[in-house]
Amino acid sequence: MSLRVDLLEGGRIAVRSLGVNRLRTLLTLTAVGIGVATLLAIVGIIQGLNGAFDRQLASLGTATLNVARRPFVITGDWWRYRNRKQITLAQMQALAQQSRLASAVVPEVNEDGRELESGSETVSNVDLVGTVADFQKIWGYEVPVGRFLTDADSEAERFVIVLGSEVAEQLFPNRSALNASVRLDHRPYRVVGVLAKKGQILGQSMDLVALIPFKTFLAVYGKRDFQIDVGADDPEQLDRLEDEVTGILRRVRSVPPGEPDDFSVNRSQQLAETYQQLTSALYGVAVGVGLITLLVGGIGIMNIMLVTVRERTREIGIRRALGARRSTIVVQFLLEASLVSAVGGAIGTSFGLGAAKLVSLVTSLAAAVRPLTVLGGIGFAALVGLFFGIWPAARAARLDPVEALHYE
Amino acid sequence: MLIKCEDIRRYYRVGTEEVHALNGVSFEIGKGEWVAIIGQSGSGKSTLMNVLGCLDTPTAGRYWLNGKDVSGMSDNELADIRNREIGFIFQTFQLLPRETALGNVELPLIYRGLRAKDRRDRARAALEQVGLGNRVTHRPNELSGGQRQRVAIARALVTEPSLLLADEPTGNLDSTTGQEIIGLFEELHRQGHTLLLVTHEPTLAARCPRAIRISDGRIVNDGAGPDVALAGRGERARAAAAT
Repeated sequence: MSLRVDLLEGGRIAVRSLGVNRLRTLLTLTAVGIGVATLLAIVGIIQGLNGAFDRQLASLGTATLNVARRPFVITGDWWRYRNRKQITLAQMQALAQQSRLASAVVPEVNEDGRELESGSETVSNVDLVGTVADFQKIWGYEVPVGRFLTDADSEAERFVIVLGSEVAEQLFPNRSALNASVRLDHRPYRVVGVLAKKGQILGQSMDLVALIPFKTFLAVYGKRDFQIDVGADDPEQLDRLEDEVTGILRRVRSVPPGEPDDFSVNRSQQLAETYQQLTSALYGVAVGVGLITLLVGGIGIMNIMLVTVRERTREIGIRRALGARRSTIVVQFLLEASLVSAVGGAIGTSFGLGAAKLVSLVTSLAAAVRPLTVLGGIGFAALVGLFFGIWPAARAARLDPVEALHYE
Repeated sequence: MLIKCEDIRRYYRVGTEEVHALNGVSFEIGKGEWVAIIGQSGSGKSTLMNVLGCLDTPTAGRYWLNGKDVSGMSDNELADIRNREIGFIFQTFQLLPRETALGNVELPLIYRGLRAKDRRDRARAALEQVGLGNRVTHRPNELSGGQRQRVAIARALVTEPSLLLADEPTGNLDSTTGQEIIGLFEELHRQGHTLLLVTHEPTLAARCPRAIRISDGRIVNDGAGPDVALAGRGERARAAAAT
C-alpha cells in the first residue's frame, strides 16, 4: 500500500463524498470562502495602495536630499529640533562650493495655506515656495506655459510667480494665466509660467502650489529659516552624497567631533518608511481579521468532518477489515477536508477579487491582486482544511475496526 | 496447518470488571477444511472470530496463520494480513452503500495497490463466480439480500485469501436464500477453499464436516459437525430437563 494509492483512492472518495451532502458541503465551504474573500480583498487593497504610493513617490524625485533643521518625520521630542541653529545663506554657499557630488544646491522656503486672487477668483490653501532656478531641475518640474523662475528674478527680488496647474486652472478658468496679475498677501505678482500637472500623493494635490523668487520671499515674509535641496547626478550616489553633505555642514556649522548633527538630512525614502510603518500596523490588523474569519471557517470544517467521521464509522470499519491501514484512513479524511476547503477557497478568491475590483472602481484606490495571491488564497484555504482535518482524521483512524463494524 | 492457536486468551475491561471472553483456546485447522464454530451468544465465539480475522489481538497466547505468527504483529502488518490472507463474510453484508457491486468487490484490491484495469477484470470474474455477472453496476440497495451476500462473498474471494471467515452469513436471510448461500459454501469447499463458519444455529453447523463448540470462552467440544451440533442440542435438552 503506497502513498500514491492512498492519495488516488482518497481523492476519489473525497470528490465523491462532496456530492453526497451538497447543502452541508456548500455551507461549510461558504464559511471558508468568506474568510478567503476577506483576506484577499484586504491584501488586494493594500497591495494597490502600496503600488500607488510607490509610483507617486518615484515622481517626487529619488535623487534629492533635503537639508533642514528638522527631519521630515519627527519622532520623540520635537523641541530638540527647535533649538537648533538656523541654516544660513553662507552655509548654503559653502555647501554649493565644496560639494563635488551635488548637481545642484538650492534654497527652499515655504509658507503653507496662502490665498491667491485674480479678479473675482480666489484659490486658498496654496503652498507657497520661495526658491531659485535650479529647483526646477532638482524636482523635475515641467513648464509647458511660460518659463520657470530665474536666478536673476531672485537677485532683483522681482514680484513674479509660477503657478501650479490647479492654481492656474482655478484663477484663470477660461484664459491663459501668462502675464496676468495675481494678488498674494496684498501684493501683486506677474505670472511668468504655469507648471505641468503632477497629480496627488496620499490624496494631497501636488498642483496647489505657487513659486516666487527666493529673495523676494525673504523680503516679503522676513523669514530666515530655510531648507536646502541638494540634487545628485546619480540616484545610486545618494548615500555618498549624504556623507559628503553631512561632513561639509558639520564643518561649516562647527559641530565638535563626537557631537550629534545639529541639522537633518532628509530623503523622500524616509516618507516611504513612515508610510510603511503606518500601513504595516493597519495591514496586521486587517490580515488578523481575515485570519480570524478563516479560523471560524476552519472550525466549521472540523465540526463537519467530525460529523462525517461519525456517520461513516461503519464504512471505516469495512475499509479497515478489507486491509486499509490507519494512514490510508487519515489520508482519505485529510484529502476530503482540504478539498472542501480548497473549493471554498476558490469561490472565496473570486469574490475577494471582485471586491477588490469594486473598491478600485468606486474609490481612487487602485486595488491590485497579483496572480500569486490567487494561488496563495486557494492553497492557504486547502492548508486550513488540512490543519482542521487532522483531528477528525486521527479520530477516524483510531477507531477500533471491530467496534466500527458494529456501529449503528 | 493453516491455523494454529495456542492458549488464546482475550480479556476486556468493562468498568472495573475484567471480562474473560476467551479463556485459553487451542486448536488447529488444516488447509481445505470447512469448520463451524458454534456457541450461544456471549460464549466468546465472536471474540474468537475477531482474533482469527486479525481484527483483534489476543491478550495472551499465540496464533499462527499460514505459518506466520500473527499474535505480535503491528497494526499495519495486521491490515496487510487481513487484505491478503482473509476474506470476510458478515451477517449484515457490510457493503458500501454508495459503491456499485463492482466497486465493492474492487475495494480490497485497491488496498493491495492493483491497477484499475486489473482490479476491474478480477472483480468482474469474482462476481461471475457467484452468479452475479449481470449485476455488476447495481448498488446494494438495488439488490436482494441473497444477492448482497453474494457480492460480499465475491469481495471475500477476489483477493484469493487462504481463509474465508463467515460470521452468521445466513442470519439476515430467509431460509431458502440461506440454503442457496450454504450451497455456495459447499461449492467453495469442493474447490479447495478453507472455510470457517461462525454460527449459533445447530442445523447449519451440522452441515459442516467439522464443528467446534465454544462455551464461556473455552472449547467444550470439537468433532464431526453433526455430532457436535447434536450434542449441543442434547446438552440443552438435559439442562431443560434438570430444571
